[in-house]
Amino acid sequence: MTRRTYNIAMVSDFFFPQPGGIESHIYQLATKLIDRGHKVIIITHAYDDRKGIRYLTNGLKVYHVPFFVIYRATTFPTVLSCFPILRNIFIRERIEIVHGHGSLSSLCHEGILHGRTMGLRTVFTDHSLFGFADAASILTNKLLKFILSDVDHSICVSHTCKENTVLRASLDPLMVSVIPNAVVADNFRPKDQPATSPPGPNFALDAPHYPPPQRFGPRDIITIVVISRLFYNKGTDLLIAAIPRVLENHPNTRFIIAGSGPKAIDLEQMIETNVLQDRVEMLGPVRHEEVRDVMVRGHIYLHPSLTEAFGTVIVEAASCGLYVVCTQVGGIPEVLPSHMTTFSKPEEDDVVLATGKAITAMRAGKIRTEKFHDQVKKMYSWQNVALRTERVYDGISGTIPEDDFYGLDPGGYNGSRIRNFTLIDRLKRYYGCGIWAGKLFCLVVVVDYLFFLFLEWWFPRENIDICHDWPYKRLVDDDADADSKKGAHSNRSSTSQGGTKLE
Amino acid sequence: MPSPTDDETSFPSLNGSASLHAFGRSHLSPDDAFTSPPRPLRSERSRSRRRKRPWKKLMWVKQSYPDNYTDQATFLENLQRNPRLKPYDFWPLVADSTVILQHVCSVIIFIVCFVGIFKERVSPVSVTSWSSGATFLGWILWERWLSEADDQDELGGVAATVTGRSGSMRRPGRAGSIRRPPPLRVDSAPSTAGPSAAPSAASSTTNLHLAVRWPQSGSTTSLASHNGSGLSHSLSHTPRASQEHLPELPPPFPVEENRSHQRLETIKSALLIYCTLLGLSPILKSLTKSTSIDSIWAMSFWLLAMNIFFFDYSGGVGAKFPASLSTNAALMASTVLASRLPSTNHVFSLTLFSIEVFGLFPVFRRYVRHFSWKFHVLSSILLVMGAGLGVGLILGDTKATGGGWPWKSGIVGMVVGVLIAGLATGGCSWWLIGLQKYKNEIRGPWDPARPIILSRPRWDDDS
Repeated sequence: MTRRTYNIAMVSDFFFPQPGGIESHIYQLATKLIDRGHKVIIITHAYDDRKGIRYLTNGLKVYHVPFFVIYRATTFPTVLSCFPILRNIFIRERIEIVHGHGSLSSLCHEGILHGRTMGLRTVFTDHSLFGFADAASILTNKLLKFILSDVDHSICVSHTCKENTVLRASLDPLMVSVIPNAVVADNFRPKDQPATSPPGPNFALDAPHYPPPQRFGPRDIITIVVISRLFYNKGTDLLIAAIPRVLENHPNTRFIIAGSGPKAIDLEQMIETNVLQDRVEMLGPVRHEEVRDVMVRGHIYLHPSLTEAFGTVIVEAASCGLYVVCTQVGGIPEVLPSHMTTFSKPEEDDVVLATGKAITAMRAGKIRTEKFHDQVKKMYSWQNVALRTERVYDGISGTIPEDDFYGLDPGGYNGSRIRNFTLIDRLKRYYGCGIWAGKLFCLVVVVDYLFFLFLEWWFPRENIDICHDWPYKRLVDDDADADSKKGAHSNRSSTSQGGTKLE
Repeated sequence: MPSPTDDETSFPSLNGSASLHAFGRSHLSPDDAFTSPPRPLRSERSRSRRRKRPWKKLMWVKQSYPDNYTDQATFLENLQRNPRLKPYDFWPLVADSTVILQHVCSVIIFIVCFVGIFKERVSPVSVTSWSSGATFLGWILWERWLSEADDQDELGGVAATVTGRSGSMRRPGRAGSIRRPPPLRVDSAPSTAGPSAAPSAASSTTNLHLAVRWPQSGSTTSLASHNGSGLSHSLSHTPRASQEHLPELPPPFPVEENRSHQRLETIKSALLIYCTLLGLSPILKSLTKSTSIDSIWAMSFWLLAMNIFFFDYSGGVGAKFPASLSTNAALMASTVLASRLPSTNHVFSLTLFSIEVFGLFPVFRRYVRHFSWKFHVLSSILLVMGAGLGVGLILGDTKATGGGWPWKSGIVGMVVGVLIAGLATGGCSWWLIGLQKYKNEIRGPWDPARPIILSRPRWDDDS
């Protein structure tokens, strides 16, 4: 009895070589899922000369499909044009689960739509928060509603994000899981800690290997680090207003600001007007690998963002042993425990006050920042994320019984949450999207289905080569106890045959 | 939120008590999170044995709940619906909509005047002279209001008596405009505008690449500066200072001297505009000779529509260059229309008239609304009646009256105009209030926060 493994296709417009949160999320999740024995491929669009198939570390296969890129690395939203090549890839790779990322990625939406038409299970991960007021949001939300009407399960990165997605796409809250992002804690070590993590799976809080708590004399410099893109929604205006006041109230403090963006000029202007050149250091853009080196130069991390779905950067900062001062917006309050953070309202006065409190607490030696790294390491890890994502896969593919997966429903829900593939049932789900939109969506789905039948006839399934899997050495199953709980219905070869058929 | 170790063990606690009803609904709406019935007590008890700790909306804690667990108590608890909804009242809404009504009516009056000139029923010279006279009257009125405002600022306590006096002074001017002959009364209203808008009109026309190009750019700057200082009652002569509206600054030297200086400047700038237009008229006359007449109609229709749609209806008294797109569109429309007229005299008259209607009159209307509500209502009524009357007169059959004015159809037009205006403002207001029940604005923690920043000018001043 082995644990059931899946062939998973991660579909998103956003992937390496472009840097960013979604990109690293996909990469980390994929590698960890591969470690757990699944087969994962990534489908994204071509970046410049990066076309075709690439292999990344650990046999992670990336399809850079040459789609037309329209805006900020997002492909042009044609509804049907990707279908032939996506179908080809799905069949080639014997995909069972299509996992789309990012609600602004049209490639992800198309992958999910066509995947459903081909009779595959689909999962969607939402990484961002959207409002409801402006025209762009309304359009995006309608599109999201269309796609998520028929998706098997959605994943959000924070509870706030879940509420947002449930509202935007009118979803059943039980069909949305919250699985946070994680950090590679070893990449974000405090300054004094050696590269190799200390041995032993569990260590007590007062383990001997901790460096002694940092003591600040009244003359010691406390450094506040800010790393963010300097945009309006990252709260740079708050930062600009707060920095002179913080520096005025607290001598022997200084700022290090990394990042670039349209607000950088305002920041520089503020520095010049207040003559703070020797106390505020602007580093400009830094690469993600260098973030840790910047962070460990400081003692407090200030994050004045105005909206944030998860806020990976504050976890990274805490992992580096920095005390975090952040605005209480979006999903941020859920991310870190209160002994690592000071929250402030997104108001200038409150940011100044909170930063002042943090500086005072640091000087008083009340904050044991040297313990943060190990605590964060226990809170967030990609292995955990992969494990929890795997449970979602198990749930939608029926490995975990439905009652078990969705649990008790107090809302009074009808029979099955397992989305079947019958066209009429799919149309019923799409029809509920709106008076006009519902009919339009139904039309699109019917056309998509006819296109699928055409493709099945024109490019028969038998003529598509099945590609070889990467020859993995199977890891020693260290979670045998978890396996025994699951009724492993089949091994990989049998599941891959079933996945490509219409049910 | 399960950890790698405890999630597998905790999930079985959910099954068994799953009560799934069989009615066909594919989604839960967001409201269902609120309205859903409370959990059965039996399961609550069995749960409490196994789960000591309640679910928390935190991600850093390892919780023994599945990832898709939805806490009925806290899910969407921060959702706000229509947090800043201000219900409209009917009559204030109608009163506010008169601003739009006034503007539409003044555009109609302009068109009526053009048609009158085009059909050679009205002499262009009379239109221009009446409207210029009215503009002059309006300017005097405006001057008086400004000085009253100054007096009120200075005296404070005796403001009431001043207002009383001014009310009596105001009426003759207005009454004079009412007693005019009907076709001219139509344009008398738009032309009563203060000079404060002269620079705005002038600078707008500088943008009008088609026709009106001011050769002396320096003069427009000086106009702007004077207008600004006139508004702000200060004598800061640099254009930059005048752009900033600084009413609280005390005048550096006596108000009277200041004012007479301004008046002189205003008269100078008015003369300048007058002369420039006079010089430009021959050019404008032949501007669209090669264009067919129907495209001129279409173009001017769209331009005037643009003027109505992009007009700055909300602007207060202090607005510097209100809605330049709108003003430019209107002036372009008038230029295009004027170029179809037969003589230089016609062209000059219509262009000057359009500057008065589209450039100066909106500013004057704004002041009227600011200083006296009664007067605002009166002018709205007059505008509506004038527009209706004008349309009636233009559409009326001249032959029936033997070349004279078709008064009967004019009266009918006036009645119809008043009726339409009343129905439109009342109906639209009522409709808007009725539509409010569909308003569903959703706010929550996912919305970008609005930062409150106090000390923004801090480092501007320090420099």
